[in-house]
Amino acid sequence: MTRARGTDGSLLSSLPWTLTALAVAALPHVPYLPIWITAASIGCALWRIVIEKRRMPVPPAWFRGGLALGGFATVFTTYGTISGVGPGTALLAIMASLKLLEARKRRDQFVLLFIAIFLNMSALLREQYVWSLPYLLLSLVVTMAAWLRMSAPAGQPARQTMRVAARFVGYALPLAVAMWVFFPRIATPFWSVPIDTSSGVTGLSDTMSPGDITSLSQSDRVAFRVRFDAELPAPRDRYWRALVLHRFNGRTWSGSSPVPDNQFRERTEFLGDPLDYEITLEPTRTQRLMSLDVPESWDLERTHVSRTNTLWHELPVDQRSVYRVRSYAQYRLDTELSDFGKSWYLGLPDGRNPKARALARSMRSDAQSDRDYARQVLEMFRLEPYHYTLQPPALGANPVDAFLFNTRRGFCEHYASAFAVLMRAAGIPARVVLGYQGGEINPLGDYLIVRQADAHAWTEVWLDGSGWERIDPTAAVAPERIESGMSGAALDGAGAVWGLNTPSRLAYRLGMAWDALNASWNELVLAYGPENQKRFMKWLGFENPDWQRLLFTLIGTVAVLVTIVHVLLILRFRPPPHDRARRYYERFVRRTGIEPRAAETPLEFERRIGETVDPGAASRITRAYLDARYGDGGETALAELRLAVRKFRRHAPA
Amino acid sequence: MQHTLGAQPIDSARAALDAARVTLNGLILGKDAQVSLALSCLLARGHLLIEDLPGLGKTTLAQSLAHVLGLSFNRVQFTSDLLPADIVGVSVFRQSSGEFEFQPGPVFAELVLADEVNRATPKAQSALLEAMEEQQVSVDGTTRALPDPFFVVATQNPADQIGTFPLPESQLDRFLMRIEIGYPDEQSERELITGEDRRAMLAGIEPVANPDTVTVLQNAALGLRMNEPLVDYIQALVRYTRESPDVEIGLSPRGAQALAAAARAHAFVERHSGVFPDDVQAVFEAVAAHRLKPAASAALQSPEEIARQVLAAVAIP
Repeated sequence: MTRARGTDGSLLSSLPWTLTALAVAALPHVPYLPIWITAASIGCALWRIVIEKRRMPVPPAWFRGGLALGGFATVFTTYGTISGVGPGTALLAIMASLKLLEARKRRDQFVLLFIAIFLNMSALLREQYVWSLPYLLLSLVVTMAAWLRMSAPAGQPARQTMRVAARFVGYALPLAVAMWVFFPRIATPFWSVPIDTSSGVTGLSDTMSPGDITSLSQSDRVAFRVRFDAELPAPRDRYWRALVLHRFNGRTWSGSSPVPDNQFRERTEFLGDPLDYEITLEPTRTQRLMSLDVPESWDLERTHVSRTNTLWHELPVDQRSVYRVRSYAQYRLDTELSDFGKSWYLGLPDGRNPKARALARSMRSDAQSDRDYARQVLEMFRLEPYHYTLQPPALGANPVDAFLFNTRRGFCEHYASAFAVLMRAAGIPARVVLGYQGGEINPLGDYLIVRQADAHAWTEVWLDGSGWERIDPTAAVAPERIESGMSGAALDGAGAVWGLNTPSRLAYRLGMAWDALNASWNELVLAYGPENQKRFMKWLGFENPDWQRLLFTLIGTVAVLVTIVHVLLILRFRPPPHDRARRYYERFVRRTGIEPRAAETPLEFERRIGETVDPGAASRITRAYLDARYGDGGETALAELRLAVRKFRRHAPA
Repeated sequence: MQHTLGAQPIDSARAALDAARVTLNGLILGKDAQVSLALSCLLARGHLLIEDLPGLGKTTLAQSLAHVLGLSFNRVQFTSDLLPADIVGVSVFRQSSGEFEFQPGPVFAELVLADEVNRATPKAQSALLEAMEEQQVSVDGTTRALPDPFFVVATQNPADQIGTFPLPESQLDRFLMRIEIGYPDEQSERELITGEDRRAMLAGIEPVANPDTVTVLQNAALGLRMNEPLVDYIQALVRYTRESPDVEIGLSPRGAQALAAAARAHAFVERHSGVFPDDVQAVFEAVAAHRLKPAASAALQSPEEIARQVLAAVAIP
């Protein structure tokens, strides 16, 4: 065994390319990776360059092994696991950096570039934006160029390498598109990689505890986008129903797991004109699906409506999904409600919020009817000094009491909760609905953007004769919130923080244009899941596209595309006629059975064999061959030659 | 001089060439290959060196070429006392005008026959060679262009040894081809004996072309297509001459160019659709032999023999 000596500098010319490819592939991960990984990667890259430049030996194996173990351990302690996208890419990045320290041969560079491709791919597991695909393509071209660079002749211009690399990626592109279109998409792929959940999802939670939150964390992240077939409903009618909470323990509202309700049409009266629209829902990681109050029909499979008229999917929505819904803005829900049913929506924990219950009782006795009582409560919110704020004070053990009588400051959740409690205390069934309210119209795309900041809570009250009726107490306190569709954040003056009321018109327009681009991208590309695939296949004429058929189509398409690329390559690198002519002529010479002499020209050969074979044929073949190989006969002469040679048979000896 | 290579001129020029060839073969009997080579040499814009014994038709060939193609013809008999001025011309003082007037020498013709070029002194030889190379002459500080086309046919008698100045290799290089005519075959010789005197016959023949036709033909010939395999062949031949142990000095790049030009012209004369290996083989000996210097180990072989060996050894791609 020889001891490792200094490197021979053979990688010096291609190393910068490999490093660039790795850097480009790793860049999308950098914001997610612990900073020490990025630092270590840069350190290793610099170290490697110095090693190569100074012809220094690579660090010894025990040292590299130690570093690898250390890197592994650090990743494990950072994440507490090694599975998942975060720790996976962290491991990949740190190991690629360490691999740099032992890369000595071209083979090691191949490994590095493979890792670069893996890094590229895993970036898509994190988040996909409009620019993800162009960036991925660019990164692939760079990786491909680094690959080519390993065997490129010295002094080849970088631009040429890039051009060849781009051409290779271009050849692969139709295949990628075919794979994307036809690869059978399954709702729960068994190879499903755990999506990176470390980035917290803001928005709706399953429960609501108004007293606990002292500052509502809102964001301008898009919750979903909606495209209406016809006119948009007015802002005050844009209530996006997500889930209904009916259980209250004095502090927290919660709901129950959704159950499919197949009889919902019997207990729901749909009135007025339908509203048809298409929702592009960002992944919620929950089963909830948003729909306009209240949904009547939808086109998403494995989706049901619950007893509380919310849409839900059998599986958590982990992918961006597109679905169409028909809703009715006017409706009557559950005009008949059994006593058992009422008891669900009347429960209040004993001994909690006593002041509120007392207030409810006294107000109800003063009111003429349930409806009148509800109106009076709203009046109370409007007339007395209740304030809308996103930074309410904490409320303590009896949050409703504290809110109603002490702080009087809160946002939608506080008002919805207090209102529902006041209703229930007066014997009126009431429940809290969580969802979104309003949304921003994108004039460029002509669709509605509903952001997490538009999350909202309101109440539904069951009134004898008319069923569940939506009453939004927030509207009494902050009517602008509801009437104009302004998000709560904007109302609070805090919107500027996340750019909701951007000062500049240009910036606004740019923002909207960008969102429109994102929306189209999402609808067309990223939302291409099982549902859209099925729809697209139907459009293509597949009556019943099951996965076998898709797979066959895919294999067929790939075969056709590979053949096309193959033929194109053959044509592109097809030998010129004069080279192909040679092959036919040699066949002819073999068939004559006469050995040509050294340096015998075709004409001399023809003269010599004149008597032994059909002289006409020999002359035709020789002329055509000379024309095709040495003259300007080209393809015509070649075809003539081919035909003549095919016909040529040596005369049987007499 | 620019010539439009329209369909009409090239077609009629082509026909004229074929007619010229037939006529020449009728005059110089049994020497088809040499006639073809001489025409090729002319069309390749080269100059021709004919090396052979007297009486084999060197002069007849040159004269016939000039006459049939309609080129002006001058003959210079090279002798040991020939001066450069006897070739290029002199300025003569004219009493009547009181000025020097240039009296053009015999080199001012479209076809110049330099007979027995090895008899003259190197000084006189180099005056001719310079004119061939530059296609112009300088007399008394004035540069005068020679006609175009300009074709020199030089003859040499290899049997003459005493009192001659054989052209050195560097100057042989100026000739595109060196050919021998050789004895005619029995049949042709019989016709020569019984037939009319060649020069008398020539007087009765109308030229089939003119200098412009020749220029058109030259342009067309040198523009002939040469495919990759043939370039490969030429390169293989040239490489072989450089690597062969029998050759001390192989073909230079200029020699390779000359081979290509001659092969093109030959292919044109033979009406081939491109340059065929046959064309290269036909001109190879004439183009290459006088440029090869046999190695000492092959001193018994003539350069022509070596050229033939090269041809036989190199496979046609």
